[in-house]
Amino acid sequence: MPVSDTVGGQTRAQLLFGLRVATLLVTAVVVGVLGLVNLLRRWESHDLPFAQLTAFGALIAVLAGEAVLLARRRPWGRLRPFAVAVVLAASALAAVTLPLERTASAVDWAFGAANWVGLVVLLDRPLRTVVLFLSAHELIALSNMLLFSDVHKGDLARLATGSVTVIGFPLCLAVVASVLHRLATAAATAGDEIERVRTAEAVAAESHRRRRQRFAELSAGAIPLLTGLADGSLSPEDAAVRRRSAIEAARMRRLCAETDVVTNPLLHELRHCADVADRKGVVVELEARGQWPTPPVAVRRDLTDAALTALATAGSWARVTVIGDQGLVSVNVVADCDDVVPPSPATSGVRVEVLGNGGTVWVEATWQPTT
Amino acid sequence: MAADDVITAVIVDDHAAITAGVRYWCEQAVPPIRLVDAGARLADVWTGPGADADVVIFDLELVPGRPDFAELRRLVDNGRRVVVYSQHADTATALKCVDLGALAYLTKREGLDHLIPAIRATAQGIPYTAPSLSGALVADDAPDRPRLSPRESEVLRAWFTSSSKDLVAAKLNITVKTVDTHIARVRVKYANAGRAARTKSELVSRALDDGLITLAELNQTETPL
Repeated sequence: MPVSDTVGGQTRAQLLFGLRVATLLVTAVVVGVLGLVNLLRRWESHDLPFAQLTAFGALIAVLAGEAVLLARRRPWGRLRPFAVAVVLAASALAAVTLPLERTASAVDWAFGAANWVGLVVLLDRPLRTVVLFLSAHELIALSNMLLFSDVHKGDLARLATGSVTVIGFPLCLAVVASVLHRLATAAATAGDEIERVRTAEAVAAESHRRRRQRFAELSAGAIPLLTGLADGSLSPEDAAVRRRSAIEAARMRRLCAETDVVTNPLLHELRHCADVADRKGVVVELEARGQWPTPPVAVRRDLTDAALTALATAGSWARVTVIGDQGLVSVNVVADCDDVVPPSPATSGVRVEVLGNGGTVWVEATWQPTT
Repeated sequence: MAADDVITAVIVDDHAAITAGVRYWCEQAVPPIRLVDAGARLADVWTGPGADADVVIFDLELVPGRPDFAELRRLVDNGRRVVVYSQHADTATALKCVDLGALAYLTKREGLDHLIPAIRATAQGIPYTAPSLSGALVADDAPDRPRLSPRESEVLRAWFTSSSKDLVAAKLNITVKTVDTHIARVRVKYANAGRAARTKSELVSRALDDGLITLAELNQTETPL
């Protein structure tokens, strides 16, 4: 998981966790204290007090479930529909077994308790789900009254008054929760965006640094050459200038090849160096034997620099060979050169040897990985 | 074997241009080498004028992508002296040909410089090691490879990279003859290892007779079976 997701997710989780705890506490007081007191004080008024007690037990069980889930910081998940069903069943059971014409009275403890329990279960759902649940709860009370009692004006007024608190308060809390949800999501998105911008900035800075570095590498060789050619101080007819150009062209090719992802970077870069000689009509054969550890870029530059210097001065043919094992890598060019001034290697562990023999020059650059 | 002193070679290669080039080299060689063209027909190596040729120049890949090691093995087992002349430059193929008993292994690139010397050497049963084979021998990392001395490895490596024995001699401060001796000793060690073949055992016994290598040195490199 990317870092940004975790940052956003954490903000969200912290905000919603606080709200969940607060809602559970409020509900525990409403159901566990007020509801229980109401139930016990009116115990004698109930026709079926144990049915009421069962409904109460069901609500307490759901609250206990929430407490457990909260402690483990888990959502309701697949248990949610089941919990809502239990709450609605408890509400219905309590309503149906009420004494006649007592709906929304002091005897009807469940009317003001089950709504809160339902809210606890549905707190992290969209607002409309909570509204739907509260409507169902209200409908149970209303239909119970309409179906089983003779409805008087007073009863309706009592139900309406009761509904203000029974529907209103939980609804307020649900609205707060939904706002908080939106805020948390926005915060998480903002956090993600900040992370993304930071990453993009870091990438841009790094590529800028690498471009500057490459430019610095070219500035020593290619740029003075190009400047000289442009202002006429260097002539393309001069053999030395042509040789320098060939060397710098090969270095540029190598620079571009260095970023390629290949299994054998040394061979890959050598091929690019050899290609420059090939283009100017030198017959180049490249042969490699053995397997070697991949040398670092600086070492590869030293190894290929010796080769491309010889290749740039080759008259008509050149044989490029690489042979290596775990302990030694050797890059060789044998070609018909007049004379080769090998570059001095920048890294320790690379040795360059030149052996001239009547028009044929052998340049060997060796690297010992262990040193 | 040819009765006179003229060396006869038979070439098996499906490319007419290659055969024409080899024929030209053979005619220009001093003394000339008589070349029999078998085309792509392996039967002409076994019957007719090809059957008597001293040397078989064998294109390993008459069918592209399928090197014919089995035919090479048959030729070697019948005592034929084979120069493998191949498009392939990979180490494994070269080593396999040497193990089967080919006296020389040349890539087609090396033909101009090395084919005629290779034919002359192999006609006498002497192995010929061209630079690419030299590179393959030094890069051989098989666990049962013969043990080479540091100097032998150095010579093989230098021969592969420079492809000039004068340069090798100059670099290592030895004579060209010593360069040849080191390379020849390596080939004897290889002939003494791996699969048994008539060309290989002849090579080893002659090396022992000539004092090129001692039995102790050979036994030291012998691979456990």
